[in-house]
Amino acid sequence: MSNETPGAGIGSDDEMERGPLGRWVDSAIKNPDRVYRAMFYVAMLFFLVTTLFPFYWLLVLALTPNNLIANMGLVPKGFNPEVFIAMFERVPFHLYMFNSFVLGITTTVLVLLIASLAGYVFGRLRFPGKGVLMLGILAISYFPPAAFLIPLFELFTGNTAISIGMVTISTPDLFNTPAPMVFPFSALFLPLSIFILTTFYGQIPDGLEDAARVEGTTRLGALFRVIVPLSAPGVATAGVLTFISVYNEFFFSFLMNNGEADSWAPIVAGILKYQGQFDTPYNLMAAASIVGVLPVAILVIIAQERIVSGLTAGALKE
Amino acid sequence: MGDVTLEHVSKYYDDVTAVDDMNLDIDDGEFICLVGPSGCGKSTTMEMIAGLTIPSEGKVFIGDREVTNLPPKDRGVAMVFQNIALFPHMDVYDNISFGLRLRNYDKEEIERRVERAAEIVQLQGMLERMPDEMSGGQRQRVAIARAIVRNPGVFLMDEPLANLDAKLRVHMRTELQRLHKELDTTIIYVTHDQAEAMTMSDRIAVIDSGQLQQIDPPLVCYNEPSNLFVAGFIGSPSMNFLDGEVTENGFVSTNIDVEFDPADLGVEPGTDITMGIRPEDVYLVGDEALVSNPSRRIEAVTDVLEPMGDEIFVYLKLSETTETNLEDTSGVANDQLLMSVAPDTDVEEDEDVTVVLDRSRVHLFDTETGEAVSHGIETPVQTSGAPGTEAESDD
Repeated sequence: MSNETPGAGIGSDDEMERGPLGRWVDSAIKNPDRVYRAMFYVAMLFFLVTTLFPFYWLLVLALTPNNLIANMGLVPKGFNPEVFIAMFERVPFHLYMFNSFVLGITTTVLVLLIASLAGYVFGRLRFPGKGVLMLGILAISYFPPAAFLIPLFELFTGNTAISIGMVTISTPDLFNTPAPMVFPFSALFLPLSIFILTTFYGQIPDGLEDAARVEGTTRLGALFRVIVPLSAPGVATAGVLTFISVYNEFFFSFLMNNGEADSWAPIVAGILKYQGQFDTPYNLMAAASIVGVLPVAILVIIAQERIVSGLTAGALKE
Repeated sequence: MGDVTLEHVSKYYDDVTAVDDMNLDIDDGEFICLVGPSGCGKSTTMEMIAGLTIPSEGKVFIGDREVTNLPPKDRGVAMVFQNIALFPHMDVYDNISFGLRLRNYDKEEIERRVERAAEIVQLQGMLERMPDEMSGGQRQRVAIARAIVRNPGVFLMDEPLANLDAKLRVHMRTELQRLHKELDTTIIYVTHDQAEAMTMSDRIAVIDSGQLQQIDPPLVCYNEPSNLFVAGFIGSPSMNFLDGEVTENGFVSTNIDVEFDPADLGVEPGTDITMGIRPEDVYLVGDEALVSNPSRRIEAVTDVLEPMGDEIFVYLKLSETTETNLEDTSGVANDQLLMSVAPDTDVEEDEDVTVVLDRSRVHLFDTETGEAVSHGIETPVQTSGAPGTEAESDD
């Protein structure tokens, strides 16, 4: 890879007359590292701009007073940091964030629990129909959520009656509670976690589970005392991905409540709440978006190493 | 408390029979080795005792309790695994105390017991370490400490030394024997290494194709194998086998005849017989003085020599047309004989030699059934064929 010995090439190449471009090409061929590095920076810049520019743009909008938001350039028209206080005064945004956290954490716990059991069964046991069942889970995970909306809405608003023999029971009205969001979220985000955990749990050596069982645990005990702790990167990956997905979810979050903070409406409703009858305060909405995104951004920065290793490797040696 | 009984236990996987009608009766405090080639069902047998596998048929008893369908945690057994199976996310103390903590022992009791177990396996001062900071032998000792800390009625050891290097294995073998002496607990030990089985156990259970072949003290298995499989499996290198037939004058095969009176051994003339003779029971002429009951002289040519240090293995060709058939793994070769001689013996490759067999150490097996017919011929060689004094027979 070194270019230290000119003239050591083949024939009399370097005696040829070349222009500046020719010399550049020549040096690029002899020293491709520089070209690779240049290409890396170009690609990196592209991704950074496409991912970070929206955040910058939110910041620009937030800092610009609302009456000046028109024909925006690349820099804020003014500097108005009070917007981050005003946003909490106009709408109880902290309550919406709290709701989002509760929904996210409840769903994550539920998903990890069920996916752990499913992952144990799919990853460690042999039984007929396993392939078909896994395929079924995969297929259902691709159903569009819109397909479930109307039946689920009917179910959760108490409009469905179930007859058991002589008795007819009406489903409870769960509208404006966390349940009609947590259940669909769990069902929608379970397949991904099941697949991640199946891979991880399947790689834990049988001997460890046997050892735990001989030492005094049940199969379930062995799962939670040995297999889950040893699959920590996988569990973390599944947990973080589920939490972020719930935090970002719009469809059910928007439709299964009336948009009030005390009705368990998450941040998506909070941001829309700023829109009044007579004005649309883009600066407040932008500020709320930034505040809403921060927790997830921090979570990803902390957990990114684990997520990457969890998604790519998943290898665990005894 | 620690006696283990298997009654007509079988295990089937789909079409495969892993264990076939196994009956075992293991006494309290006994050290039993289950030996056999890979895939013979010895590990499955042990897993059924541990409760990790549920038998398809039959009953398992530990102590006077039937445990056939009990989960492993309720059986009062402890197990040491081939791959050691320490919990990698726990330090040594937590690994050893895992079972005690699950059973809600109080803290001081746990501490006392862990200290004691660590002392027995000489792990003092290493309780804080993580398994990946330890050597193979140390990890194995942690696994053993984890097993003994609960005072189980039965220890199950599934090839615990298989992953250790040769030197450590011999050392741990001694340690295990010392441990058994100290604890006086039943140990059931699975291995495919017959040297381990011979040196450590009170009794050896030889298993092949899921069936129990013989269960006897090591030297009985060695000296009086109950069938061809046990004879070939126990002993290293393996016994020489020659196919032949019994006539009025004794055993006749292509190259070697051994005279005896078939009536003495209760064999019908005309029966197909496989004769077995261990390498150390073949002697060069000149060493005949060592043999109380030599056979007729056998002419042979030395083929390959394998000096082992304490002895030399000599492969003898009994006829010119020696062909080694690699496909044939039964160990029967009518034109070859393996002999072991003292290391100072003057013997060269491709040399004509004359050998004799120790007739009192000749084993005869029924070729068809593989069952042993006789171990050792006591009657001396007599051309007249006079009735012999007595013959040892235990078929």
